[in-house]
Amino acid sequence: MSTETYKQNSSLGFSLKTGLFKTIRVLFLTTFSLLMVYPLYWLITSAFKTNEEFFTQPYAFPTSFTFENFQRAWEVANLGQAMINSTIVTVTATVLTIFLGALTAYVLSRFTFKLKGVLVVFFMLGMLIPVHSTLVPLFTLMNEVGLLDTYWALILPYTAFELPIAIFLTVAYMSTIPKELEEAAVIDGSGYWGIFFKIMLPLSVPALSTVAILAFLRYWNEFVFALVFINDSSLKTLPLSLAIFSDGFSTDYALTMAAMTIAVLPTIVMYLMFQEQIMKGMVAGSVKG
Amino acid sequence: MQSSSKLRGLLVITLLPALLLYSFFVIIPIFWSSYYGFFEWSGLGDATFIGFQNYLEVVQSPIFWRSFKNNLIIVGASVLGQVPIALGLALLLRKSNMFQRFVRSAVFLPMVISTVVVGLIWGYIFDPELGVINAVLRSVGLESWTRAWLADPEVNMYAVAVPIIWNYIGPYLIIFIAAIQNIPGEIEEAALLDGATGWRKLVYIILPNMWGTIKVVIILCISGSLKAFDQVFVMTGGGPAQSTEILATYMYNNTFLVYRYGFGSAISTMIIILSLILILISQVLMRRKD
Repeated sequence: MSTETYKQNSSLGFSLKTGLFKTIRVLFLTTFSLLMVYPLYWLITSAFKTNEEFFTQPYAFPTSFTFENFQRAWEVANLGQAMINSTIVTVTATVLTIFLGALTAYVLSRFTFKLKGVLVVFFMLGMLIPVHSTLVPLFTLMNEVGLLDTYWALILPYTAFELPIAIFLTVAYMSTIPKELEEAAVIDGSGYWGIFFKIMLPLSVPALSTVAILAFLRYWNEFVFALVFINDSSLKTLPLSLAIFSDGFSTDYALTMAAMTIAVLPTIVMYLMFQEQIMKGMVAGSVKG
Repeated sequence: MQSSSKLRGLLVITLLPALLLYSFFVIIPIFWSSYYGFFEWSGLGDATFIGFQNYLEVVQSPIFWRSFKNNLIIVGASVLGQVPIALGLALLLRKSNMFQRFVRSAVFLPMVISTVVVGLIWGYIFDPELGVINAVLRSVGLESWTRAWLADPEVNMYAVAVPIIWNYIGPYLIIFIAAIQNIPGEIEEAALLDGATGWRKLVYIILPNMWGTIKVVIILCISGSLKAFDQVFVMTGGGPAQSTEILATYMYNNTFLVYRYGFGSAISTMIIILSLILILISQVLMRRKD
């Protein structure tokens, strides 16, 4: 801080004004943050209430905590199966995304070849395409090859749509890895695959973990593809199972709130653990798009 | 020579899986969709070629244009809501102490929540009987302002836009904070020597230095809000009486509820065309001011 600021701050009137401004600012920011978090706070506290309590005191803090809603939600909405389905789809698609993304990024960041520029533009094009405009053709396409109502109906398109961001983030990171490391490996007798698995993959872990976290969140929450490509109730993912609450069960508020809390909890835990990475990754992903 | 053919083989093997997957699921559907737009097809049985009829019907449908207008309302609400809020907050959040980091986390939090859950919670918040909005209005004596926010066609499109604004402020806030931190220290010090503090500093130093970032954010905001679907679908499904129909719900309802696959494909194609036009226009408009 320069001396100039100290001089100005030392005058009493000015510091009083700054003090007042500071207080207003803190008050405003606190209120705004609470407003942002309120819907979630309301969701989670309501999940612990009985329906009677919810109707009489919808906004009060629960008087006693009941876990009955969670148990009912788990059984009635078949959330256990949905949780398994979401996990299978999310984990498989995330692994596939990381592997294909890293492999493509390795080639794009380390080799020069004729069509490289075209390829990069081609991959980036995907970020401009609104997902819902591919629904009808993908539905008919998958219907023809018999992919509908399988886990692959979600895993493959999820991965395909995430590839551009995965490739972009990984290429940017791999370009910063010094080439000397590979040269040393070549002398030690490693081929391209050896370099990829023994050097590039382990060194890119920071970028790949960001890719993995973003992919995980996106797949876990994805709704449209699941809505259109999955009809079999034993294959429904969490967001799809929740969507039935938008009409069928909507009067059983406590049950709905508990079901939503179950679905939201893993992503909130993830957010609390990897906040900085999630923020940076999502921003980088959106700027590219 | 041997190594160059080996390299070529490597390129093919490594690039092919990603390239095939991406082309098959992301790029080809666009062309497939515009092709299907020329057919009358119920999803089962034979498709009949009917030329431009579907496309003509789309362009002449008042519901299609109402949906487009509703999309524009969401775009407008996002640009006018998210950008000023994010910018204002960023100006107040220039340090990174505990408190300010907490505010940032709170604002970003909705980004990780399932959009279905977002739609459902806000559906409750807008509920005429139980919803917190009407409850607050009643408690401060504004009984006459209470209404069925999602059913009243005069306000429901704006109501629908609120959760979408709430959902996506986070990334723009982070971008703005980074841009403010990137303003060179010398510029600020020089401004301080010239006596520019408070509002003057904001108007003459900070904002001009951020104009480039603001433009980028506006473009991101436009292309992002064109993709909105889940929240609207869960909250209203486009109803009542198609008053909150957006292009994506219009497409969905026509294809998967009444099984007009050809017509739905034509709408899909129009969505891509209109989105690209809007993004292009926004880019051109933003660039001209340089």
